[in-house]
Amino acid sequence: MKYLVTTFLMATLSMSSTAHASAKAAFEIYKKDHSRMRNKRIAHELIDGQFYFSAIPYINNFLEENNDMDAELESDIETLVVKTGTMAVLNLDEKKLESFSIPSISLILGTRLFNKEQYDKAFAVLSKIPETHKFSMEANLIKGTIKNLQRKHIEALNLYENCAKKAEQQEQSGSGEKLKRYYTYLKETCTIRTARVKIEDKKYDEALDIYAKIDKRSYKWPYILLDKAWAYYYLKDYNRALGLTVTYKSPLLESYFMPEAEVLMALSYYNLCLWDDAMKVVDHFYSDYQPKADALKQILGQNKKSNTYFLDLYYADPKTREDLNPFIRNLITQTRKQVKFNLDLASLKAAKDELALLKRLKNKNDFTAHLEENLDSTISFISSKINFYIKKEIFTFINEIHKHSYSMFNLKLELLSRKRDDLYNAKPDDKNDRNRGSEQNINRKVTQYFFDFNGSFWADELGDYSFGLKSQCKENTEETK
Amino acid sequence: MRLIIILLILAFSSTLEAEEKKNTVYKYKEYEVIDLGSMEVKGQIIAPGDLTVNERERKVFKRSLLEKNNFDFENKREIENLR
Repeated sequence: MKYLVTTFLMATLSMSSTAHASAKAAFEIYKKDHSRMRNKRIAHELIDGQFYFSAIPYINNFLEENNDMDAELESDIETLVVKTGTMAVLNLDEKKLESFSIPSISLILGTRLFNKEQYDKAFAVLSKIPETHKFSMEANLIKGTIKNLQRKHIEALNLYENCAKKAEQQEQSGSGEKLKRYYTYLKETCTIRTARVKIEDKKYDEALDIYAKIDKRSYKWPYILLDKAWAYYYLKDYNRALGLTVTYKSPLLESYFMPEAEVLMALSYYNLCLWDDAMKVVDHFYSDYQPKADALKQILGQNKKSNTYFLDLYYADPKTREDLNPFIRNLITQTRKQVKFNLDLASLKAAKDELALLKRLKNKNDFTAHLEENLDSTISFISSKINFYIKKEIFTFINEIHKHSYSMFNLKLELLSRKRDDLYNAKPDDKNDRNRGSEQNINRKVTQYFFDFNGSFWADELGDYSFGLKSQCKENTEETK
Repeated sequence: MRLIIILLILAFSSTLEAEEKKNTVYKYKEYEVIDLGSMEVKGQIIAPGDLTVNERERKVFKRSLLEKNNFDFENKREIENLR
């Protein structure tokens, strides 16, 4: 134990002394160097001393004024991208970024262009990243998405498969738990994309086989339940689709709100001609999601001008969180599981730590004052960025509810029309003769588990529930079983 | 002198006109009879004589229910959340 403590103290001291030395070297350059390479040299010293966030303005200023690129600068930018994300070249516009042909900048520019829906340009920029580079996995994922959006599925599949394969290699050889987790995330994202392309190509069985590769403990697993439910729905296995969508009601998945799952559940009942069950889901959708949307709209309206409210909610003590609407609490929990949110949060913490380290430096001067000032504004920028991110997530969720309300409304009209037809055709006897839950109505492969859903959730059964409802449709009863 | 004569002539003529207006009597028709039976429209009859409608199946309107043709929305969001 003593050995461990001593090692830790030594490491901290050596880190702090390196940082101090580099800050001193940066100060020397700041004071004496008046050449055009000054900002680049200061940034390099700061990066060397692990003052990553302090180095950002100097790198930005240098790149704004110069087009020179050497191995040292390239390596510095790459380090900044890894440590601070897209902030490394935040102030530079796309035109300026285009003049640099290094993988880190190509990835940032490609992502930026993708988010602006300039797909062809984004594809060309991302293609500059060599296949052997560590950013090539993300590049292939984005390039695959572009081809996917352009409905060029063969090319999209190649890019996704390439991304999954490389991420798997990195996952196995990578060091560090966090880095391994990131590669697992990338691998699973690309694998899921392959399955989605298969669904879009109507190859549902193939898609389901690919989804089976995703571990139940994976971060992505709750999201693929809905994808799988759609595949079963199109295979006309409505009972499996119901079993998968009902899984979101399990207490373990209570923070996952999927309005689309409700619509799919209602549609599955509808296709089994179980009008009353479908109607119950529709009514429940309105009674459940309407107050949620209202609560969110209220909270958004009240705090739309605040740059910190939603971030403060994340940091709020348990008492304050308890006072919140449980739905909003769960939505924040769900947001916390997003990679971007976690990366930004880690950046915020790192920037704050860096500021604390700067404040601890003994020799204060106008250079350190300048660094502190820059860091203060960087911290407030990251805070408002995270705050905006949560706000955007809430906004997207409200839009989702509205979008699916429209689908539910159409379905309700259709249901009313079908019920009216049934009344006219006098078929009330079906209601009493409904066989609910017979195993005869379940489609099952040898590799598939099956658990009938009896109203209670068991952790090991999640994702393998199937209903056993008999279709009430008069035609094609066998087919829709 | 000439001017006086012209003015006198003008004054005399306007007095005459006023007297004429006073004596005008307007009379209106008390009634008019229109014999619809004797009226005739010239032309050809082009409207169909048979007004029955052919039987056809009633149009059933199908509402568009939710379809999942692609995952564009989810895929785009994933890229936004990448870094």
